[in-house]
Amino acid sequence: MSRSYDRALTVFSPDGHLFQVEYALEAVRKGTCAVGVRGKDVVVLGVEKKSILQLQDPRTVRKVVMLDDHICLAFAGLTADGRVLIDKARVECQSHRLTVEDPVTVEYITRHIAGIQQRYTQSGGVRPFGISTLLVGFDPHDSKPRLYQTEPSGIYSAWKANAIGRSSKTVREFLEKNHKDDLSREEAIKLTVKSLLEVVQTGAKNIEISVMESYGKITHLDLAQIEGIVSDIEREKEAEAERKRSRLAATAAGQAAMATRAGDAASGTS
Amino acid sequence: METSFAITGKGYVIVAADTTAARSIVKMKTDEDKIKALGPHLLMAYSGEPGDTVQFAEYVERNIRLYQIRHHYSLRPSAAASWVRRSLAESLRSRHPYSVNLLLGGYDEASDEPKLYWIDYLGTMTEVPFGAHGYGSYFALSLLDRCVKKYLVISGALICHSRYHNPDATLEEGIETLKRCIDEVAKRLIVSPSKYKVKIVDKDGVREIEL
Amino acid sequence: MSIMENNGGSVIAMVGKECVAIACDLRLGNQALGVSSDFQKIFPVTDRIFLGLPGLGTDVTTLKELFRFRVNMYTIKEEREIEPETFAHLVSSTLYEHRFGPYFIEPVMAGLSKTPSGGFKPFIAATDLIGCLNFAKDFVVAGTASSKLFGVAEGLWEPDLEPEDLFETISQTIMNAVDRDAYSGWGCIVHVITKDQIVTRTLKARMD
Repeated sequence: MSRSYDRALTVFSPDGHLFQVEYALEAVRKGTCAVGVRGKDVVVLGVEKKSILQLQDPRTVRKVVMLDDHICLAFAGLTADGRVLIDKARVECQSHRLTVEDPVTVEYITRHIAGIQQRYTQSGGVRPFGISTLLVGFDPHDSKPRLYQTEPSGIYSAWKANAIGRSSKTVREFLEKNHKDDLSREEAIKLTVKSLLEVVQTGAKNIEISVMESYGKITHLDLAQIEGIVSDIEREKEAEAERKRSRLAATAAGQAAMATRAGDAASGTS
Repeated sequence: METSFAITGKGYVIVAADTTAARSIVKMKTDEDKIKALGPHLLMAYSGEPGDTVQFAEYVERNIRLYQIRHHYSLRPSAAASWVRRSLAESLRSRHPYSVNLLLGGYDEASDEPKLYWIDYLGTMTEVPFGAHGYGSYFALSLLDRCVKKYLVISGALICHSRYHNPDATLEEGIETLKRCIDEVAKRLIVSPSKYKVKIVDKDGVREIEL
Repeated sequence: MSIMENNGGSVIAMVGKECVAIACDLRLGNQALGVSSDFQKIFPVTDRIFLGLPGLGTDVTTLKELFRFRVNMYTIKEEREIEPETFAHLVSSTLYEHRFGPYFIEPVMAGLSKTPSGGFKPFIAATDLIGCLNFAKDFVVAGTASSKLFGVAEGLWEPDLEPEDLFETISQTIMNAVDRDAYSGWGCIVHVITKDQIVTRTLKARMD
């Protein structure tokens, strides 16, 4: 019965669902993971890179793109849909500059993207965009880092830190546990990498990090830098585990000692 | 009256445009910048109907920038000029055509050559060693021509008087030539502009100079 | 001032013995002021067809690009090169599409067309600005110097000229005609098409 509500997506199911939009969210959940973390005066985007095929040119596979000088976008979901949406956003960025001589704000372009995504859930003969996006950047004449998210339904929201795509729930919970306000540049990068490592087993070579420090100043970390951070994290984890082990050992030893003493005492009385 | 010049030399293009914004017989402004940098190695001087000029120049600027963002590299000067020309040619047969005349100077990083294109509001385009628009063109072009004539007389010997146009002139010589053009216009044109903005594009990019 | 004379420029094409020639001047002006002495008005279409486009400067470039597009589409769809006769009709119909708001160009074409026996036959044609075709047996002219070109060509041209003689004839014709026209000149370029080669020469002309 419910199948008939799949056909035209402008039709609600009796319990108020738009199935096609929910399937789009499913496509997002299948996409590679992307993380955004906002620090004190820095904002970091991290993505899980699909390992490319041996003969493929890595430069032609992009998940983090610039929309304008000061805004960066990462997406999770159908790459082809992403390309179309990104192009629409880029045109809007230039068009906005042309009409009002000012660059767009991060909130404005987020709203624009979300607006396009919403439109594709309400008109006939189309399907929703199978992507969620994370937008980071700085507003013109402002030093506050921004992080926004959009979804296939057209929902958009601002975040301190967030994740989209594969295992985003795990990553988000990790971020909820570990995010603090006013992270420094290094801390923000580290937190991003750390949270990505929750889902990326293959380590540094499948992680891409972009850091935006102020209006228009963006750096993409190279593999060596990311490897450095990953090994730092691993060392910390190792040290932590070591401490745990030694603590356990100490406790065990203590208990054992106590047991022996008890034994001695027992034998002493005999 | 509105005047703009551009000349090529060894590895550079100099673009100059007057800085007056006039409304009928009144000078409204004398520090108007009518040369836009369209990219790291591209300059465009625009003149013509007030309003159309700025509107069209900004339209071009944004589209060239969009191309950069989309493709991660800039259009070469020849490609940019073709695009601009087509925009004007399409506009010509529209209901409200732009009336804008352009000089597009750029440094082609792929071939390491300076490039200069003369484009008028009809969409007529041609590559030139030097070009000019406005009333100043009648004086400047004939002045710059003297060098080309000299080539014919000497037939191949590249000994050219530095004060006229020479495609192999150094930047200093080029600036001298430009000054001569400006002086000539100042001397002979009844309503000559008083101030010029001068910009240079070469392998190091775009910069403005004071005369 | 007529739109057709805004930028100046002239083209001529001539038939020879198993060859054709096409020539143009190199001036681009803005009314009486010369702007460029390197403005080509003749463009290669295939290995055996050339198209000359004298008239309004902006339309020279626009039509050059439009014909390049249409000929490329033809070549891809038909998987063969376009024949001169077909191309002439393509030019004609393209111009007639704009019957009531024309491109201000009077095209001139020259080429060699394949005969059923495998040989080549000279072909020249010209149209007016709305695409009325004129297939001539001797020569066709167009542009601001067309009246002068007619006169000189009428006196110099003769049937069955060999490629070298045809080159001399067309060169003398255009150079002398253009010297009598204020809107044409500033250098000339000549293409001679024979079945196995194309010879292109830039003429040393008066530059005043």
